Amino acid sequence: MKKIQKALALMLALCMVLALSACGGDTPAESKAPEASKAPDTTPTEQGGEPADDVELLWWAPPTFIQDADDPAGTYEQKLVEEFNASHPGITVRVETIDFTTASDKITTAIESGTAADVLFDAPGRIIEYGKNGKLVSLDDMFTDEFKKDVGNDDLLTSCQGNGTYYMYPISASPFYMAINEKMWTDSGAIEHVNLEGNRAWTTDDFEKAIEKLAAAGYNPGVLFCSGQGGDQGTRAFIANLYDGSVADGEKYTFNSDAMIQGLTKAQEWINKGWLGNGVQYNGGGSIELFAAGTTAFEFCWGTSAAGNNAATMESNGVTPISLPFPSADGKPVLEYLVNGFCVFDNGDAAKAEASKTFIKWLCDNTENVTRTGAFPVLQSMGNLYPGDAEKELLVEFTKMYGPYYNTMDGFANMRAQWFDMLQKITGGGDVTELANAAVEASNAGMAG
Amino acid sequence: MAKTPARLNSHALKRHETVVAYLFMLPALFFFAAFVILPMVMGVVTSLFNYTMKNPVSAETFIGLKNYIDLFQDKTFLRAMLNTLILVVVTVPAVTLFSLWVSSAIYQMKEGVRSFFRCVFYLPVVTGTVAVVVVWKWMFDGYSGILNYVLSALGLIDKNIMWLGDTRFAIWCIILIMFTTYVGQPIVLYVAALGNVDQSLVEAAQVDGATDLQVFWKIKWPQVMPTTLYIVVITTINTFQCFSLIQLLTSGGPEGTTNTVMYYLYTNAFSLYKYGYANSMGVVLAIIIAILSAIQFKVMSKDVSY
Amino acid sequence: MKKNKITPYKVISVIILCVVAFTFVFPFYWIITGAFKSQSVAIALPPEWFPTEPTLANFERLFKNPALQWMLNTVLMALGSMLLVCGTASLCGYALAKKRFYGQSIVFGLIICAMALPKQVVLVPLVRMMANLRLRWLYYAIGVVAVIALVMIVVTAVKNSYNWLPAEARRDWKVKDYLFHLLVAAIAVLAVVYLVVLFMPGGLIVKTKENTPMTDTLWAVILPTVGWPFGVFLMKQFSETIPNEILEAARIDGAGELNTFLTVVCPIIKPGFGALAIFTFINTWNDYFLQLIMLQSRANLTISLGIATLQAEFATNYGLMMAGAALGAVPIVAIFLIFQKFFTQGITMGAVKG
Repeated sequence: MKKIQKALALMLALCMVLALSACGGDTPAESKAPEASKAPDTTPTEQGGEPADDVELLWWAPPTFIQDADDPAGTYEQKLVEEFNASHPGITVRVETIDFTTASDKITTAIESGTAADVLFDAPGRIIEYGKNGKLVSLDDMFTDEFKKDVGNDDLLTSCQGNGTYYMYPISASPFYMAINEKMWTDSGAIEHVNLEGNRAWTTDDFEKAIEKLAAAGYNPGVLFCSGQGGDQGTRAFIANLYDGSVADGEKYTFNSDAMIQGLTKAQEWINKGWLGNGVQYNGGGSIELFAAGTTAFEFCWGTSAAGNNAATMESNGVTPISLPFPSADGKPVLEYLVNGFCVFDNGDAAKAEASKTFIKWLCDNTENVTRTGAFPVLQSMGNLYPGDAEKELLVEFTKMYGPYYNTMDGFANMRAQWFDMLQKITGGGDVTELANAAVEASNAGMAG
Repeated sequence: MAKTPARLNSHALKRHETVVAYLFMLPALFFFAAFVILPMVMGVVTSLFNYTMKNPVSAETFIGLKNYIDLFQDKTFLRAMLNTLILVVVTVPAVTLFSLWVSSAIYQMKEGVRSFFRCVFYLPVVTGTVAVVVVWKWMFDGYSGILNYVLSALGLIDKNIMWLGDTRFAIWCIILIMFTTYVGQPIVLYVAALGNVDQSLVEAAQVDGATDLQVFWKIKWPQVMPTTLYIVVITTINTFQCFSLIQLLTSGGPEGTTNTVMYYLYTNAFSLYKYGYANSMGVVLAIIIAILSAIQFKVMSKDVSY
Repeated sequence: MKKNKITPYKVISVIILCVVAFTFVFPFYWIITGAFKSQSVAIALPPEWFPTEPTLANFERLFKNPALQWMLNTVLMALGSMLLVCGTASLCGYALAKKRFYGQSIVFGLIICAMALPKQVVLVPLVRMMANLRLRWLYYAIGVVAVIALVMIVVTAVKNSYNWLPAEARRDWKVKDYLFHLLVAAIAVLAVVYLVVLFMPGGLIVKTKENTPMTDTLWAVILPTVGWPFGVFLMKQFSETIPNEILEAARIDGAGELNTFLTVVCPIIKPGFGALAIFTFINTWNDYFLQLIMLQSRANLTISLGIATLQAEFATNYGLMMAGAALGAVPIVAIFLIFQKFFTQGITMGAVKG
């Protein structure tokens, strides 16, 4: 009988522990619990300024803003939110830092289960996908004629649209380009083929001579990474520029065009010669790590965030990167670019949607926030935010090389899967024409789905 | 039944036991029904719809078994299934036999030594897959990996091998890492089970002059059979559901040679937003695992001595 | 004794064990040492086998984040799941193994099938469910369980009240019996206090908003873990080893069902408890995916989620990552070592009783 008592006591103890853990675990949630008691069909106040009731917003922020010194991720965002909350009574924003690698899984699950945040910072690729699937609020009313005129770049505006509706409010944009390791290129003599003047445009022939010298000097070439889709815009831009092909024509995917096949064949040839690295094992991130560690001589997936995030690593490994556009046959490279921006999830609450728009407009109109993204303003009226910065001035030259934006085309996600699979097979020695045709066919078939 | 009180016939007894049994099972079944069965039924049902991010589950998107028909014409899926089966066929016996061998080697050692080895083999489990995989990834790296470094220092290779990027090696690298993260639990279980083996039977057999091998097969093996069954079933299920290793190491490449059903399911659901299609994969996977588990049960239960 | 004889087989097996053991220890060793290396050294080639210039910079960076809060969350989550799983699974596993009842094969078949189903399939419905469940419902449920437990304690105490009388039974009492009764009393008082905290005006229930969903609380991770039937399966396997004669004997002695379970079954399946506790604890600790989709607020993250948020895009700080991994791994290794002891005790006890 005593045993029963003992067991009961244990059972109760268990209850207590659980209950206590409930207190511990829930206190933060409790204080921040989203105010959902409002009826979902609350009518919005007439003008978008300040809704009558208290609105609580949730902002999902991947680490995009550059933090001060050694501040942990989210510090600057928290500061922004506090500033906004203080200046906008009636709206309370809560920020949650999310990480890049797992963000998409989390967002997908949240969307499907109706627990998505209100405001999300991301790139167009995914945002427009959510928009086309009817999960976002249309931001058409934020794209006034005045705003469009200030942007003054139709490609950039298109990148914010899906099926003719604006879903992303842009804050900044920056080009994707490549980088070379200064020391390795100088030592091997490859640097003499590089154009370091003006916009640094160079040709495929120059590139070929350079990588031959690098290989002769025993340096590891950069890798044609293709283990997954991370950073794959780099390999697409590299291959496309080699013989001035294009990945898509706005309607369909066209990377089986003659120029693209010529580029892919050349890449395969270089890999076989050892002038270009086998990158089946790496994605963009892995490839960047190799470059930043001083293992490989050049890198196709480079940009302001890659350069910024790896600055310390490169310094301690004695790597000095030189930014270059991709080599092209005619010396007129076409670059891909990243547009940063915000979207608003459709959580069935018009008041929240209005408040969210107020919030993102407030964020994007601030020049400090633009520089915190390390990129260039989309609004021409903001002018040059980086006076006296030689590297940034070079990148401004690169921004003039922007090509048509195809990341918002239908079936983009499916195409990326086809692309890296094709590169793996080409690296493995497969027939280029056959593989490119098959991949394009599958990509175009995926547009319908 | 001989000891059953006379006033209870066996039906009444069973009825009584039924009530008691369900009372015992009530807490577990409550959680099970609420947090597993219910979502699971929802998963099975949605596999009959053309359920994507765009199309919610509704009368218009009902497509019957079309997802399943598509599935068996999907070459990537079939390849992924083949890879998964290879993983299972290699990993399950390897894990079971190795853990049994290790446990029988260490369970009679001094307590300290036994603890040491048990901890060693359990380390990859407790360290967490993500952390362990980061280290393994570095070891297998083609350029800065320690494996190539050691091999070329020993003069065994003259050119770096892209372990995870080579169609010949990638899946074996996965199997090796999987092996190190899977054997920890079986070893702990086997050590516990072997410790519970009736020592008097062992001693009696030894007095009768049985060899160690005979003692093992005739006495210990049957007694650890329930544990073996558990280990085989669990390892099979875990291997079928192998996902994070693939995601962290190869993303299914090179050329689809390490793509598993679980990873393919994941990419369909989370990058292509084809939830219905992904769920149909999950259902097929579950059916296969259930059939295999049933077979394992039937085959191995014969040897179980209660 | 035969055990101590050194045979060539034993020598070889120890050598092989040591070699294989090295492969298993190396990643852990590398994580621990990597935590004290600077970023460039961590991935240098030739590798630096031992940190020659150990640095605490990684930990300094780590603790600029609420790493301890994450740690606490992880412990609470793992502990909660562990206790609940052990309780529910042992009862259920025993019934499945030793009772003959209607619907037995159906229940067991369901459990096997559920184990076979990939978790990813149920994730979306699960998150939706958690978003619909209200936190306060759980508080009510816990309150009800606490009341039932309280009532049962009182009833048992009354039934056994002769223990409290200064009769001859008292002479047999030892200090630990007094302590035990003190403990029971203390717990009963605590339960009352807890109920008051929960239900009084301004208490937890009142403070928790009507609509606070279960997502973004640790419960959203704990409850599905408890539902997962691995534990039931494991405890069934352990319960199979209970000799039927012992159960029969207990029944003939007139012991009630619960009494039989607690006094006869539990000691025998003690190793099972140990194993299940460790497995649940570690699996919950490492179940990254479930945590990822259920938890959102920075203050509610677990340690592995927290570490993931430290990564910048396109840049891995290996030192920082290793520091985080070390912080997450060291306590769990400690837990394992502690439970190992419990294991051995369980095994010897089982051997004596069996």
